[in-house]
Amino acid sequence: MTTNSLSETCDKIIFSTFFKSHAKSLRNFLFYKYGNKDQAEDLVQEAFIKLWQNCSAVPLEKAKSYIYTIANNGSLNEIAHQKVVLQYEKKFSGFDKTNENPEFILEEKQFKSKLLKSIENLNETQRVAFLMHRIDGKKYSEIAEELNISVKAVEKRIHLALVELRKEIDSIK
Amino acid sequence: MEENHILAKWLNNDLTEAELAEFNANPDYEKYEKIKNYTAHLEVPDFNEAKVLEDVISHKKITPKVIPLYKNWLFKVAAVLVIGLGITFMMQNFASQTQYAPNGKRTTFSLPDNSEVVLNAGSEIEYKKWNWDNNRNLELHGEAYFKVAKGKKFEVATDLGKVAVLGTQFNVKARKNRFDVTCFEGRVKVNYKEKEVILTQGQSVTFENGKQINTTVNTSKPEWLENTIAFNKENLRNILDEIQRQYNVSIEVKAKYPGELFTGKIPIDNLDVALQIIATTYHLEPNKIAPNKIIFEGK
Repeated sequence: MTTNSLSETCDKIIFSTFFKSHAKSLRNFLFYKYGNKDQAEDLVQEAFIKLWQNCSAVPLEKAKSYIYTIANNGSLNEIAHQKVVLQYEKKFSGFDKTNENPEFILEEKQFKSKLLKSIENLNETQRVAFLMHRIDGKKYSEIAEELNISVKAVEKRIHLALVELRKEIDSIK
Repeated sequence: MEENHILAKWLNNDLTEAELAEFNANPDYEKYEKIKNYTAHLEVPDFNEAKVLEDVISHKKITPKVIPLYKNWLFKVAAVLVIGLGITFMMQNFASQTQYAPNGKRTTFSLPDNSEVVLNAGSEIEYKKWNWDNNRNLELHGEAYFKVAKGKKFEVATDLGKVAVLGTQFNVKARKNRFDVTCFEGRVKVNYKEKEVILTQGQSVTFENGKQINTTVNTSKPEWLENTIAFNKENLRNILDEIQRQYNVSIEVKAKYPGELFTGKIPIDNLDVALQIIATTYHLEPNKIAPNKIIFEGK
């Protein structure tokens, strides 16, 4: 009972709910940043362990910025940047199913791989903001909060990401 | 800058219809549309959340020790100090300050605005430090010389009357039923009963038993500051009272009090000379029966 009165964060059920709603997006965020899935997951684990240990000092409404801050700080030195390797949903093969033209199918395939390569080549800040929107479906305001920047800055990053992607795709032959 | 973010707005479906129509006309529109559609189908490999959560919760919580503030002895000490200092501050500022000059002594002190006050022997002044600059009122019993700093109205209340000034030097003497005010610099307003007199530099006024006497002085400071007392048509009783105060002695007259009034100066640093002046003027014989007891007898 005493722990309860100190902070909701210490309640196992509340903590688990919080974990489930934020762990994956934190992992994804770190993955978009560094491209290293295993290390991203280790960092997530580390951040949540710190939150759990210090739950009595962190109110629930501060918990989100707490884990993002820890994950960001912890990652400064440790992580070796890798290429961000993404994949398409397994059932997604393309848009125009009726067109069986082999030339068209080949073009589709080429575009998909060009797009992935272009995303890999984006600079880190643009890629992170862009993927948080495209994959996690986050609002710009949520992205701004998690990255600790303004909504305007998020819009700028996404805008530049799109410009960059279009240029890259055109240039890859 | 606004235009710069148009792609971000479009991606978020935030464009107005007009903006959207314009954007659709853009030659690159189709390419952007393709990027938008294809990136909607990207995914990241899943991760085993349940296992991580289990691991996190298996860690021990760090429970900080909570020490209530009131149990901390340091807090108690601090509280006592704060209260003590508070009371001292209140006392100093709100309580009346009293300056006192006993018989045979003088006291010089400064008021909060640096006005100077010299209290003559056997006199007392009471005033409040709090808000002094806006409320320069003090109460005088006896005699004092004031050198008032410029500022708001400066008021000296005595049992006999009031003196109000604006930055000046003046002397107030209120003893028994005689009230003397002398202005050495600036302007002084004197209230005595229903009367109001304004003094300028070098003027002096005396009220005694309802009678008003105006005189002029040509000194720049009251004589008592230079160790003499100047009397102006003063009766013997008042003169002896003054001598008793200045020298802290007691004087008795074993003869009929002469009624003549005295005008002149008497030193206050030489008792023998002072007594001799009285003796010659009033034809009396001074007898010192003890160092601080004098009896005047008729010749």
